[in-house]
Amino acid sequence: MHLSDRVTGLFLVLLGALAFWGGSRLPAVPGQDIGPASFPMMIGAGLVLCGGLIALGIGRSFEVEDPPEATAVPGLAGRLGRMGWLAAFLPPALLIFYVVAAESLGFLLTAAVVLLVCARALGASWRLTIALTLIGPFGVHLAFSELLRVPLPDGLLAAPW
Amino acid sequence: MSAVFDAFSMVASFEVLVAILISAVYGMVIGALPGLTATMAIALLVPVTFYLSPIAAVATIITSSAMAIFSGDIPGCLMRIPGTPASAAYTDESYALTRKGQAELALGASLWFSALGGIAGTVALMILAPALAEMALSFSTFEYFWLSFLGLMCATLVARSSPIKAIAAALLGLLVACVGIENPGGVPRFTFGLTDLLGGIEPLPALVGVFAVSEIMRAMINAPPPPIPERKLGSILGGQWALTRRYPKQMWRGNIIGVLIGALPGAGADMAAWVAYATSKRFSKEPEKFGTGHPEGLVESGAANNSALAGGWVPALLFGIPGDTITAIAIGVLYMKGLNPGPTLFTEKASSMYALYIVFLLANVLMIPLGILMIRVSKQVLRAPRSVAMPLILLLCAVGAFAIGNNPFAIVLVAVFGVIGFMMERNGYPVAALVLGIVMGTMVEQNFVTSLIKSDGDLLPFFERPVSSVLATMTIAALLWPAIVWLLRRLRPAEAAR
Repeated sequence: MHLSDRVTGLFLVLLGALAFWGGSRLPAVPGQDIGPASFPMMIGAGLVLCGGLIALGIGRSFEVEDPPEATAVPGLAGRLGRMGWLAAFLPPALLIFYVVAAESLGFLLTAAVVLLVCARALGASWRLTIALTLIGPFGVHLAFSELLRVPLPDGLLAAPW
Repeated sequence: MSAVFDAFSMVASFEVLVAILISAVYGMVIGALPGLTATMAIALLVPVTFYLSPIAAVATIITSSAMAIFSGDIPGCLMRIPGTPASAAYTDESYALTRKGQAELALGASLWFSALGGIAGTVALMILAPALAEMALSFSTFEYFWLSFLGLMCATLVARSSPIKAIAAALLGLLVACVGIENPGGVPRFTFGLTDLLGGIEPLPALVGVFAVSEIMRAMINAPPPPIPERKLGSILGGQWALTRRYPKQMWRGNIIGVLIGALPGAGADMAAWVAYATSKRFSKEPEKFGTGHPEGLVESGAANNSALAGGWVPALLFGIPGDTITAIAIGVLYMKGLNPGPTLFTEKASSMYALYIVFLLANVLMIPLGILMIRVSKQVLRAPRSVAMPLILLLCAVGAFAIGNNPFAIVLVAVFGVIGFMMERNGYPVAALVLGIVMGTMVEQNFVTSLIKSDGDLLPFFERPVSSVLATMTIAALLWPAIVWLLRRLRPAEAAR
């Protein structure tokens, strides 16, 4: 989603100010002038300065504009129409779902859900999606759990090996 | 001499050779798929390196990055979609050659000059690194502070965006690095009471988020690449010797530009390719032919992006400062495997260093037969639907991040950094600068604070030692450079309009 420079610049000013304030409240090391506070305060000040300059539109002349993309997108983004940009946030949402569900559902089921939703949202056909959902979780489980010994949760459905 | 023999026996082990072969195929495939970058390939590889011996682990990174940078040229040439950003500079040129019916010449040039560039870059690494190591032994915290600061500034200079946004991105990275208790006071800083944040934010989940998840997010809202047209390919290496004879100067210039830009912190293969392509056009006897399917620029920039890979390892091995985003990941693996970067690496672990050089050479030689194979099967590989590849990568991001420390919180970090990377990219903030800030934050702070404590709060010693004064001048020049360019543009509006 494209925001104006004013919005991102002001966000950086706010973040910088918070970093400066948060840094200044850190306890000092007794007998030292320089402590854990110095560095975040410097960065905070720098962010406030940069954010201010960006909000004012300084430095824009250096930017290379990307050509806009106009082609139709299949899957979720196409269906959402004007709200299509929301589809971009599905992958991180699926990651959070993985974190929440993996322990109780187990790796295989959670992975299948992630693959199913993501593939359909990208416009994969049902045949392809089902094949991916059936094979993918087992393949990844085999590689990570069996070969690399990563303790993936069993949950409701344990792997057959 | 015995160190060289040791190195050969290290590389000749079954494990290392198999690791090289598998990672070569992996790198080739990932690089060829549009939207999957070399950096992403390396980030997803890290959990696997945990289970390998040190040399095998680093060998997988070296090999797969070299292969990915080459194979990114394939879809660029055949479909006009660069497989990795490093191929973007000359995609139009090689596609123009394909349209003229000379796809094999363009692909062959990519392959041949990539391999030669990689070898030239390795030789430069072998010569430069020990020479610089000698110098680096006398560095104190003042020099290290300026060096890491200069690295951050370089990343902002070469970004193809507003320098202020690049500096802001680097500062954001430094702020991320502030999180945790690893600071001069040992107090929890910006942890918001979360125990998971006490240890700080590991660079790896951040990298996976910024480079892989944000790419999947982009795929969600962009149309997939069009199907690849049917085309028969002739002999791939056929015309390459003639090209080498015809453009030796361009090839060498490309190699040198690649090594230099690669060695600059933060600037990697993609920047090297852009600069080399521009240089080639600037100094060409027939600049009007550029863009119409003329191999000259292809020779120079194809050589540059692969030699940049080796160049990126120079500051990484010597100072622990990443030369590009790939070595930013590699440094973490080096530490994990007990090959801590630093000048002493060349004296204490000499045989390991030689082994790395051998791996570099081996990877670039292996690139030619594997590359030919890849070009031949590219039609089948490129037909792999994006809607299958991307979900699998998302799953690998989750499992890979979890595998780093068996901690689900890493997956949350991956998601958060995916969103951050996506938003930054959309709004013109370079993510490479952010990554460099995260990787180098602790180093910058430590050297800054230690230096200030040594000098009792006095800033003068930062400029007193000869090397540090030179580095300080360069850093300040880099910081002021955008302002100078801006002023020059104001003074010469005619020049800017051109």
